[in-house]
Amino acid sequence: MKHRAILIAFVVLISFSCGKKDNVVEVQFWNFGGTVNFMKWVRQRIETFNQTHPGIRVVQSDKSWNMIREILYANFSAGVGPDVMTVHANYAAEFGGAGFFYPLNKFPDFEEVKRKYEPNLFESGRYKDDYYGLPSAAIAFVLVCNKALFDREGIRPPKTWSEFREAAKRLTKDTNGDGTIDQYGLVVMGGDKGGFAYRLIPFFLKAGVNFMSDDMTKITFNTPRGVAALKLFADMYQTDHSITPGFLAYTLSEINDLFSGNRVAMSIEGPWFRAMVQEKSPGNDFYTVPVPVPDDMIAQYDTAPTLQDMVMYPISAQSKHLEETWEFLKYIRNEESDMAYVRANLGAIATTNFALNSPEAEQYPDMQVYRHELQHARPWPAHPAIIPIVNNVLAPYGQKAIAGEITPQEALDLAAKEAQEIVEGKK
Amino acid sequence: MNKVVRVTVMVILAFFVLLPFLWTMSTSLKPLPEVNRYPPEWFSPTMSLTPYVDMFFYLPFSTYTLNSLMVALGATILTLTFGSLAGYAFSRFQFRGKHLFLLIFLLSQMLPGASVIVPLFQLAKESGLYDTHVGLILIHTALLLPFVIWLLYGFFNAIPMEVEDAALIDGCSRLQALRRVILPLALPGIGATAIFAFLGSWNEFFFALILTASDSTRTIPVGIGLFVGEYMDVWNQMSAAAVLFSLPPLLLFLLMRRTFIRGLAAGALK
Amino acid sequence: MRKSTPYLLLLPALLFTFFVLVYPLAQNLVNSFRQVSLIRGSGGWVGVQNYAKIFGDSLFWLSFRNTLIYAIAGTMLSVLTGLGFALLLHEKIGRITSLMGFLYTIPWVISPVVAGFAWKWLLNDNYGIINYWLVQTGIVNEGITWLGDVHTALIGVIVARVWQFYPFAMVMLMAGLQTIPQEQYEAASVDGATPLQRFIHITLPNLRSVMSVLLVLGVIWSFNDFNMVFVMTRGGPINASMVLPVLVREFSFVHFDLGRGSALSVMVFVLLASMSFFYLKVLAKREAQ
Repeated sequence: MKHRAILIAFVVLISFSCGKKDNVVEVQFWNFGGTVNFMKWVRQRIETFNQTHPGIRVVQSDKSWNMIREILYANFSAGVGPDVMTVHANYAAEFGGAGFFYPLNKFPDFEEVKRKYEPNLFESGRYKDDYYGLPSAAIAFVLVCNKALFDREGIRPPKTWSEFREAAKRLTKDTNGDGTIDQYGLVVMGGDKGGFAYRLIPFFLKAGVNFMSDDMTKITFNTPRGVAALKLFADMYQTDHSITPGFLAYTLSEINDLFSGNRVAMSIEGPWFRAMVQEKSPGNDFYTVPVPVPDDMIAQYDTAPTLQDMVMYPISAQSKHLEETWEFLKYIRNEESDMAYVRANLGAIATTNFALNSPEAEQYPDMQVYRHELQHARPWPAHPAIIPIVNNVLAPYGQKAIAGEITPQEALDLAAKEAQEIVEGKK
Repeated sequence: MNKVVRVTVMVILAFFVLLPFLWTMSTSLKPLPEVNRYPPEWFSPTMSLTPYVDMFFYLPFSTYTLNSLMVALGATILTLTFGSLAGYAFSRFQFRGKHLFLLIFLLSQMLPGASVIVPLFQLAKESGLYDTHVGLILIHTALLLPFVIWLLYGFFNAIPMEVEDAALIDGCSRLQALRRVILPLALPGIGATAIFAFLGSWNEFFFALILTASDSTRTIPVGIGLFVGEYMDVWNQMSAAAVLFSLPPLLLFLLMRRTFIRGLAAGALK
Repeated sequence: MRKSTPYLLLLPALLFTFFVLVYPLAQNLVNSFRQVSLIRGSGGWVGVQNYAKIFGDSLFWLSFRNTLIYAIAGTMLSVLTGLGFALLLHEKIGRITSLMGFLYTIPWVISPVVAGFAWKWLLNDNYGIINYWLVQTGIVNEGITWLGDVHTALIGVIVARVWQFYPFAMVMLMAGLQTIPQEQYEAASVDGATPLQRFIHITLPNLRSVMSVLLVLGVIWSFNDFNMVFVMTRGGPINASMVLPVLVREFSFVHFDLGRGSALSVMVFVLLASMSFFYLKVLAKREAQ
């Protein structure tokens, strides 16, 4: 008898988990990444949306950038997953091409919505003839320099690779005289493969090295200048020891810790960084400058490209609530929302014309630098296989070269060979 | 060896053995600035239980806990039910293929998750059980059954046949004999087995990781295990989660030490 | 009583085992000979190509080597530690021994995920207390980046593994110690044997079968160990701590090359099956004694 009672209780418990059916449409939103304040702001915004749109309930789930591709791919291929999410713009090629994202241009009011956004940024979310996401935050990778450490040492943020290397060396020291080095010149995110590649490639781009040919048929990063870029890091790590030793396991949280504790002087980051560090350690300040260029290219300092990226909101093609999700999407990315990016320290650069041209935009810290860099910045090539190539080929080989397991030349040649095979569909 | 020396050595060793757990506990009580401090301190004046409260807001741990409980309970019930039947069959009957089946159950205990995960993922996908409680319960049941069957087999064997024979002579059917006579006698053993089954599901990580995705089905270990890599590592809240998550196993172990040990031995020696 | 009764009783359990263990194993085998990719879509039969690619992949050999080191070093150290603790606890000193025994067994009860998490924090290169102690006691000049350095990452996971596994060895060895007949010791004392001699000539030989069981089981279980390594390092940095189970996940759910993931897991299974077979032989020998 007892068994039966337990079984009944169990069945009842299970049935509760299956959710109650009412007339409210539930929209699942997976928010990848974002600073703590950003996540809180999104939650509040969703609250307001839910209240002003009875009949739709958006449910937010915060997740890490760390495993975004694995999580999304596994879910979509299993026929489940969120209705709307945040992704990198270059997911348009792979996921859009695979039919996992819904082409937003199919919505009747698409053109009207499109006009609100900065045109170049909007194009980042396009693959072939379809647009797969509404822009959220614009990103350009820059060099952040810990103001306290630079000022203490009396040096200016570097513009050339030599200055960069020199600055890192000088800022690597034993600050409290106990015989161990406790301050380092540079930290690189090694713990996340995608993140690592994002921080390495700006140096390639600044040196005039492109990842692929424009027609996306040939891998082109293993040129002598590309090798030089990788060698710069390898030398800094192996010879100068000016890169934090544990960088291979570091994610953004460790980098945040190091900056907040004034234990590292430079990192290659984007608009989130200031907000992130100042959330933790409000007194910290930085010099935000463009990524340095090779010494002999100083004349092109103002026009050399860095890496551009964009966070965008796509809709899942498998969503059962396309209309409602689109309503939510338009709301979360309308001009009012975008102005919050400008006014509050959320670590995101606005993408609507209204916000970008507003007078408050000028007040946004580092806006000048980002605006300037975004003018010339280049995104990853819009190839469907770009993400696996970057994460699973370029990043590991790059890390091996910096750690000293192979030479930069070998690393890039091997990486280029494998990448080329993937591009040609052989792998 | 001198008694005092030995006791001192034992206490010191106990400290080192428990170090990871103690350090996690210390971290779980500190505010964030204290967590990221060098040199590290065991105690700080600002310690409090706040991280234990915060963790339910930062990540949906209340949902994770509910999921873990549901899955573990469900798996335990199913495992005990089917495991008892099988254990009884092995214990009381001789039949063709008995040794083969026993062998299958023994070997499947050593099955690497890696060897079945890919087809299981595909199966879960196609049957609509991906990212569901039911799917995870079924998987856990299957994973725990071999071990449970071995344990119950051993416990049933310890009950002499005469007890049952008496019941059968009195007119009970086999199943009635099982329910009315054997089970009550084997209750301590079944209780211990239930605990092993529950903990087995509670602690299970690999399949829960791969076969669930959304927060509404995620279990606690996956929450803790995937945590690393967030922008703001809230080590104190996560440590709190780790401590709380370890309490059921620890408490159960404290209360049922001897049965635990017997189960350990049974798992290896049989 | 019908002849079919036992089979009926077994049926549910067998069904579970079939669907979750037997069928996937078979399907896995089939997958391994096909091109199955979540990204590229399922292709057809490719014969042994998946296997060939694995054998030609330096990452596989690195993983295999790592797993061997992890399994053998981890198990041996665990057994040695377990033996040490078992000997320490063997002579009872009132209730203290019982209490200590309880405390020493706790690591076994803690989930591998929590163990991995706790050790990851302990070994943190900036804020970990282990580095702090190492520097304070002068053993090293500066903190070691345990899980961030390709040379020490494997050591880090092995330490965590030993911590988790030694209690099992300890408990088994304690049971083993208790079965050693006192007369053997008494006879040796009468003959004038030193404690060390008694240990080497009486204790160890008597424990031989238990230790062999422990070593085989420990190695087998190590080859299966996904949870702790994944939580601590995900196989990094640069695959320095990549072990076979984590590699299977990497192939299957990061590269989404399910064909290759299946092939690798077949190889792991064959390896484990052989070791299990070996274990059964050890057991049989033990029972014969």
